Amino acid sequence: MSFQLSVSLIVAGLFAAAVLAWLLTKVNKALGAWVTVAASAAALTMMALLHKEIGGTVNLFFLQFTLTQYGWFFSIVMLSVFTCVSFFNIYWMQKLIHPAAYNMLYLLALVGTLGAFSAKDFITLFIFWELIVWASMFIIPFGKSRKASVTYYAFSAFGSLSMLYGILFLYHRFGSFEIQSVLHQAAGDPTAAIVAFVTIGIAGLIKLGVFPFHIWLPQAHGNAPEPFSPILSGGLVKAGGFAAFLIVAVMPSYKAFSSNLEFLGRQLAMPIPNYALAILGAVSIVVGTLMAISQNDFKKLIAYSSVANAGYIIIGLAMAGGLSTGGALMHIFAHAIASAAAFLAAAAVVHRTGTTKMNELGGLIHRMPLTYLVYLIAIISMAGIPPMAGFISKWMLFQSMMGKGMVFIAAAAFFGSIGSFLYVFRPLSAVFLGQLSTKHQNVKEAPALMMLPMILLSLASVVFGVFPNLVLNIISQVQTSVGLEGLTLEGTKIIASNGTIDPTLIVMIFGLGFLIALIIFLRFPKSRKVPLMDQYTASEFIWTPELLHYATDFYAPFERLYQKAPRTETFYGAIVRRVNELGKFASYAFYSFKPGTVLLWAAVVIVAMLGGSVL
Amino acid sequence: MNMNEVLLGTLTGLLILVFAFFWQTTLSGVTRKIVARFHKRYGPKFYQEFRDIFKLLTKTGVSHGWVYNFGVMMALGGIMGTAMFMPVMQFAAFPGLDNVFIYVYLFAVGMLGMAMSAVGSGNPLAGIGVMRALTQMVGYEVPFMVVVLAMVYGHGTASVSELAAVQQTADLASWNIVKMPIGTLVGFICLLGMLGKKPFETFIAPAEIASGPMVEYGGKQLGMLMLLHEFSIFIEVSLFVNLFLGGAVTVVGFALKYVGTFVLASLISQALGRFKIDQVIKYFYRWPIALAVVQALIVIFLGWGV
Repeated sequence: MSFQLSVSLIVAGLFAAAVLAWLLTKVNKALGAWVTVAASAAALTMMALLHKEIGGTVNLFFLQFTLTQYGWFFSIVMLSVFTCVSFFNIYWMQKLIHPAAYNMLYLLALVGTLGAFSAKDFITLFIFWELIVWASMFIIPFGKSRKASVTYYAFSAFGSLSMLYGILFLYHRFGSFEIQSVLHQAAGDPTAAIVAFVTIGIAGLIKLGVFPFHIWLPQAHGNAPEPFSPILSGGLVKAGGFAAFLIVAVMPSYKAFSSNLEFLGRQLAMPIPNYALAILGAVSIVVGTLMAISQNDFKKLIAYSSVANAGYIIIGLAMAGGLSTGGALMHIFAHAIASAAAFLAAAAVVHRTGTTKMNELGGLIHRMPLTYLVYLIAIISMAGIPPMAGFISKWMLFQSMMGKGMVFIAAAAFFGSIGSFLYVFRPLSAVFLGQLSTKHQNVKEAPALMMLPMILLSLASVVFGVFPNLVLNIISQVQTSVGLEGLTLEGTKIIASNGTIDPTLIVMIFGLGFLIALIIFLRFPKSRKVPLMDQYTASEFIWTPELLHYATDFYAPFERLYQKAPRTETFYGAIVRRVNELGKFASYAFYSFKPGTVLLWAAVVIVAMLGGSVL
Repeated sequence: MNMNEVLLGTLTGLLILVFAFFWQTTLSGVTRKIVARFHKRYGPKFYQEFRDIFKLLTKTGVSHGWVYNFGVMMALGGIMGTAMFMPVMQFAAFPGLDNVFIYVYLFAVGMLGMAMSAVGSGNPLAGIGVMRALTQMVGYEVPFMVVVLAMVYGHGTASVSELAAVQQTADLASWNIVKMPIGTLVGFICLLGMLGKKPFETFIAPAEIASGPMVEYGGKQLGMLMLLHEFSIFIEVSLFVNLFLGGAVTVVGFALKYVGTFVLASLISQALGRFKIDQVIKYFYRWPIALAVVQALIVIFLGWGV
């Protein structure tokens, strides 16, 4: 198949599939959901086959596409998440208010991301970027809250406008919309570079949910319909990573800001604008971690952890070295599959129990052991523990931070990393372990079609954690394609300038350790199995399982230490109140039911517009 | 890495494991005796720990479900895997590949396994204990990693065997305890936290939460956890010896440094009371972290201690 045809097929085909999904859902709900599965899987296959045709360009009407190494990488990550999650749509058709619209918007969000990743010019990028925003904005209120969608849109609109300003500024300066050439030119022009860096950077930071733009993310992720939360966290948010990659790596920020490498007469580890980015990342890690620790809602907890992980991604990108960018890209991949799996496990729990409140759950491991394993693997990866993919990316990021001696940013990252043990363990303990509540005695394991994508994502986390070089080779190509240093990989080893690691060996040794433990366990007398309520309770007699389940206010002593800290929400709340007051004033001053007043204002507006064009 | 290197390394690792078991279990017994003498008691025989472990392993205990058993195996497996990577004197299973992050994150596999198993027993006291243990980890791990950052930045390598080798170039003067005294102090305080010695014993707190995570254990599961405990002490103390006390070249040097560190930590534990868990966090985020950052800044900006 020719390149032209493939790209047209993916883009036009997904648009057509979106319409088809809408029509078919009206006829048969399950059928419509299957269209989303088939369309995402087909797009994934075609995109995977396109790897050898990187560099080609295609024009579709006025839209221009080109496939770059990094665009391909982001597209594959996105498509894997979309394809796996789409299986969950089938089970949610009965629960959603507008299943037809959901299926259509689901595919439109997908085509939006693919279009943005393979856009050749900024206009195409912007159009598809907006498509993502609009599609997801309409999906979010299908869940628990309409307000979440408003918050999401307010932030996204700010990001989009900021990006649009940047695009038009660059066009004014260089007379072109073409992404590659404009960004390369901008690198040689300090003013253009800083404008592009800030404006497109804001759009990226907002999508990623980096501090101080993070408050939309937990609201949107926590309230979106269950199958869409993994899309937001594993997929759409990573589009922000793409925007950040554009301004840091495609426009080589080191070259653009080479004059900003000194501060008070000292050589800096990276240019000041990059430092600013990294500091925002560090703050996100701390804020995201602290907030995640204090959540009682399963989904909101994972959502805040996405804020923290966005911090790692942005720090890695900002450092813009070979190892650090590699670490950031690997983290995008590893976190996408891990957080998608974690959200899907949450969705499976909601499907069976109907709640995301952790203190109402407990002991589900005895009813949903496979879902438990999926969640376990996901959190091991999110916490950066071997043998999962998340360990590799965190190691790469830490190693490069240590190499540059960035004490404060690294301290924030270490805090986030150890803090992640806390928040990922809370759902494990409160939802899956502990006592099984009496009302969940009859819960069943998630259905087979839900298990399939969850198991695939878990396998991906394990396989790419044991053999990370499968992904890192591709990432290394991505880096060299934008002029960054590639990674040094040798067999199963990853070699950094200040340390080497062999993930396969680590897993082998861990396996050996486990084997010895297993032998010890099997060698000695078999234990007697006792029911869960057979407990040491210091002679207190307790017969209610819920009373023996420690889940409410899990980290209360730790939370107490920072519960009075200032919140970003207060700041945004103040802005919201001011805007509200302005609106009330406007409606008081100008809004009226009297036809005469309305006509007067209409006339004034028309005259003003005409006058503007005449003058 | 070819097949022979892997086999040889694995064999060395297994030998280190066997050594660690006999060494640390004996030392734990001896330390119990030393502590007893400080209490003006006679104390148990020095091989009491061996007796305890083997007695427990051969007893028929109870099980609270598959995750209770699986967690114990995962914990012991993770900790033994970590111990195999640990360089002892010049013996290292995989020199150059023993990255310092392995001791933080592969160790965490063990901790996660144990936490999982403990909470899987369904006892709320275990849940509270795990909550405290994790909270305490946030306390000591961050200052410790900041000091490690300073060390890796200064010496240009993150491999523990190489970091130890760097300190063996010029006797005492090249040890990190001399070059980075502030960092060593922080490292030692964090070591107390890792070992769960008083005042950082909050997550066990026998009189308060009935030994926390360990509350439900008995039989071979408890035996395996005791084994795990010995291995984790070995990892923590050896890491301190390798990072701050210049590793060791001779058996005598190793024994002196290791025993000195461990006995000192155990004796300090006897003299202090127990912090509450929020006090632990407050403590670590006041002095140790500030000192760690100062040490890191000294290394990075003044170039001292490189």
